[in-house]
Amino acid sequence: MHKTVLFALVILSGLSAGALAANQVIHQQGRVFSSESVTIKKGEALTFVNDDSIPHNLMSATKGSEFNLGSQAPGMSTDVTFKETGDVQVICAIHPRMKMMVKVTD
Amino acid sequence: MSGFFPRRSTMLATAVAAAGFGAIGFASIGLGAVVVGETRRIDLGAKAAPGIDAVKAQYKRPATIPFPKENPYTPEKAALGKKLYFDTRLSVSMAQSCASCHSPGLGWGDGLAVGVGHGMAKLGRHSPTIVNAAWGAIFMWDGRLATLEEQALGPIQAAGEMNMPLEQLMERLVSIGEYKPLFNAAFPDEGMSIKTLAKAIATYERTVVSERAPFDAWIEGNEKAISEEAKRGFAVFNGKALCSACHEGWNFTNDGFQDIGLPSKDVGRGEFVPGVVKMQHAFKTPGLREIARRSPFMHDGSLATLEAVVEHYDRGGVDRPSRSDLMKPLGLTAQEKSDLVAFMKTLTSNLSPTAVPVLPR
Repeated sequence: MHKTVLFALVILSGLSAGALAANQVIHQQGRVFSSESVTIKKGEALTFVNDDSIPHNLMSATKGSEFNLGSQAPGMSTDVTFKETGDVQVICAIHPRMKMMVKVTD
Repeated sequence: MSGFFPRRSTMLATAVAAAGFGAIGFASIGLGAVVVGETRRIDLGAKAAPGIDAVKAQYKRPATIPFPKENPYTPEKAALGKKLYFDTRLSVSMAQSCASCHSPGLGWGDGLAVGVGHGMAKLGRHSPTIVNAAWGAIFMWDGRLATLEEQALGPIQAAGEMNMPLEQLMERLVSIGEYKPLFNAAFPDEGMSIKTLAKAIATYERTVVSERAPFDAWIEGNEKAISEEAKRGFAVFNGKALCSACHEGWNFTNDGFQDIGLPSKDVGRGEFVPGVVKMQHAFKTPGLREIARRSPFMHDGSLATLEAVVEHYDRGGVDRPSRSDLMKPLGLTAQEKSDLVAFMKTLTSNLSPTAVPVLPR
């Protein structure tokens, strides 16, 4: 129990620091990611902003790093924290030309 | 001409950023390697709606056909690919070629609601046109193939379509004496193989490009090239009807996957991304070039006319979780509907006749 609480606190404090720091922002205007590849430190977050005029659906099928933001409407922003090192490919499920790589380092 | 199209800024209104988004601001904390935080609305500021000239500029025809560096164009390759494309001996029955379902006489489709495969059995989906495949980002209605080279081999070996095992096909082609020198000319270092077969067919397919249509002349400045009805339809297409959110650019598609609410059980793209709600019943957005020659329409061929297609979009389709957020009742007037159809008809060119090649023996 004690360990679980400690674990939770560690996670929350880590997330808090990540949220307070200025995340790198990935834009999606014109059905294009603003960066083809970004490098971040383990535990840091990226902010995915839909500044396009239509919905997007960001996700990753990279093994161990799968996520799915679901339909993200124009004018919405979502932070995604990457906790393990490695390369994570992020795509838009709707628009096949939208692909980028997140390189998570120590 | 600002204000010609609706202002997008209304969609991007300012809202309150999540208060206290710090220590406990995340909606979900997963135990995996990625943690998704909550989604919040942000202020993107007002964006001026583009004027008519800026919108028209987005539809200008490209000057050249893109060929991948892994499979650059050569005339020998395209000529060989054309023979293969029209050769019925690519099917196990020796009765069907690529052109059987993707015929130049029918807008490079087959004019049927759904395709017909091996043994004249009906397939599950409409045969898509191959026009402008060179610009495709992903292939098949459900996007299951990544390149045109892969696509070229798909229907040949599919049991329900041409039903021809590729090894068996290569044996058959080797036995047709006149093919070998054509392969050697097209692929001096590679010769005859499944890989070069695919490369040749894909190269030929990339040369199938919609020709100049009245719409292109209008885009380039000839105001008399299309009717006033069609011009109004273009405005509706890019504005109230939201068509250009998916049917964008000179080929009128961004190759995206959308559930447009057709009452079909086919999950389409959803088969490959089962966990993504919006991909259930989603199909690749087809381009609209030569559209008046390509009826019936939709992935299941369920709508016979362009008028019926416009009615479908006006109603918004089946409301279900997977339905695209862009699909909603549009409230189009009868005039707007007929203007849209008039506009779409300007995308059809006077396609030059395609000569059927003399095939190797």
